[in-house]
Amino acid sequence: MNKETARLLFMDYLYDELEQDQRKELEAYLSHNPGLKKELDELGDVRSMLQHLPVQNPAEQLVMVEPERSGFQDWWNEMIESWLPASGFARAGFAIASLLILFVVMGAFTKMNISVGDGGFNLTFGEKQEIIQQGFTPHQVEMLLQQVREDNAVMISDAIQQAQQQQENRIEKTLVNFADYIEQQRQSDLQMISSGLYNMEETYYDRFRQTDQVLGELIQTVSTRN
Amino acid sequence: MPRLTLRINSGSRQNDNMEDAQLVQDFRGGNHRAFNKLVARWQDRIHHFAYRFFASSDDATEITQKTFIKAYQKLDTLEDVNKFGSWIYTIANNLCLDELKRAGRRRATSYEALKVAPQTENATPADGTVLRNEGLVLLHKALLQLPVDQRVVVIMKEYEGLTFREIAEILDEPENTVKSRLYYGLNALKKTFDSWNINKEVFDYE
Repeated sequence: MNKETARLLFMDYLYDELEQDQRKELEAYLSHNPGLKKELDELGDVRSMLQHLPVQNPAEQLVMVEPERSGFQDWWNEMIESWLPASGFARAGFAIASLLILFVVMGAFTKMNISVGDGGFNLTFGEKQEIIQQGFTPHQVEMLLQQVREDNAVMISDAIQQAQQQQENRIEKTLVNFADYIEQQRQSDLQMISSGLYNMEETYYDRFRQTDQVLGELIQTVSTRN
Repeated sequence: MPRLTLRINSGSRQNDNMEDAQLVQDFRGGNHRAFNKLVARWQDRIHHFAYRFFASSDDATEITQKTFIKAYQKLDTLEDVNKFGSWIYTIANNLCLDELKRAGRRRATSYEALKVAPQTENATPADGTVLRNEGLVLLHKALLQLPVDQRVVVIMKEYEGLTFREIAEILDEPENTVKSRLYYGLNALKKTFDSWNINKEVFDYE
């Protein structure tokens, strides 16, 4: 280290921003250079004098933003600011306390009852009622099963009967439709035969007339020649 | 050797930065009251900075107000919310420099008047309180006589407690340049104090 490098470290040394190793190295160097140490001390004196410089604080907050009260967001922010504590830890405690109070109030309204018994943890709402029966006897179970079987048999019988009825209705409806179709077909055939006979009659009549006419003309011609 | 240490505890400073960052984010989220909290947290420091820069309470108040108005308008442009402190000092410093340019003529005249050496040589020890009060005024006058770039560094380092890295970031200069300006600034102050016969003992009268 020389004087120039030592001076380069003066500011870091004065303001305590020098690494420990460099500080020791500089102090060791200064101990052998009283002139340089005197220079550093004088700069330290300047610092100590500067610390006496008076200062003035502003009398009040110089800038104040007045947010537009435009709705729910501002109201909510105001509520949060006024009710919640500043630090995060205190806010967490506040939230837990609020939840507990809410839990107690809701429990009072719903008549909540918490109990721990042999059967485990019980949480009930409303009036507490004695448990009348906790299960069924084998006989009751057998009766219930019998009842279920009978109900099932009746239900299946009804279902089969209903299905048969539907099937019969469907067949009957089909037969009726078929009879209607046959009847329509017969009527149509009869009309067609009748129409054919009429046309044939008309044709024979015309031919008969034409034959009579020709015979008449023939007779008249023979008579005229005679 | 007595050492003056104004450095703020790093943990405390980190918490401050986190609170500032949270307030900035709250403000960006639409909570305007967060900005009022930022003003409450920072206006004394900005006012002190400007007051030491100009030695005028009116100027300090004006600079402080302009600083926060500009911060309010530009807060959305702050890239790193954890550096709100450096950012607000940058605004304040730029406004101080603008004010110097704007009113340079008036202030230059004022500085000329300050260059007249004070008459403290004939004072007696009985006049200690008077000397101290006069010394306090002269301290500010000596600070005002520094070149602006040195004055800014001295104020930021000596009074605002910023690290060299933070000052370099605010001024957009290398750290060594900042240290160099501080070194020359302290030496210039020493010469001024010597020429005015001001020493540590003047301020020992309470």
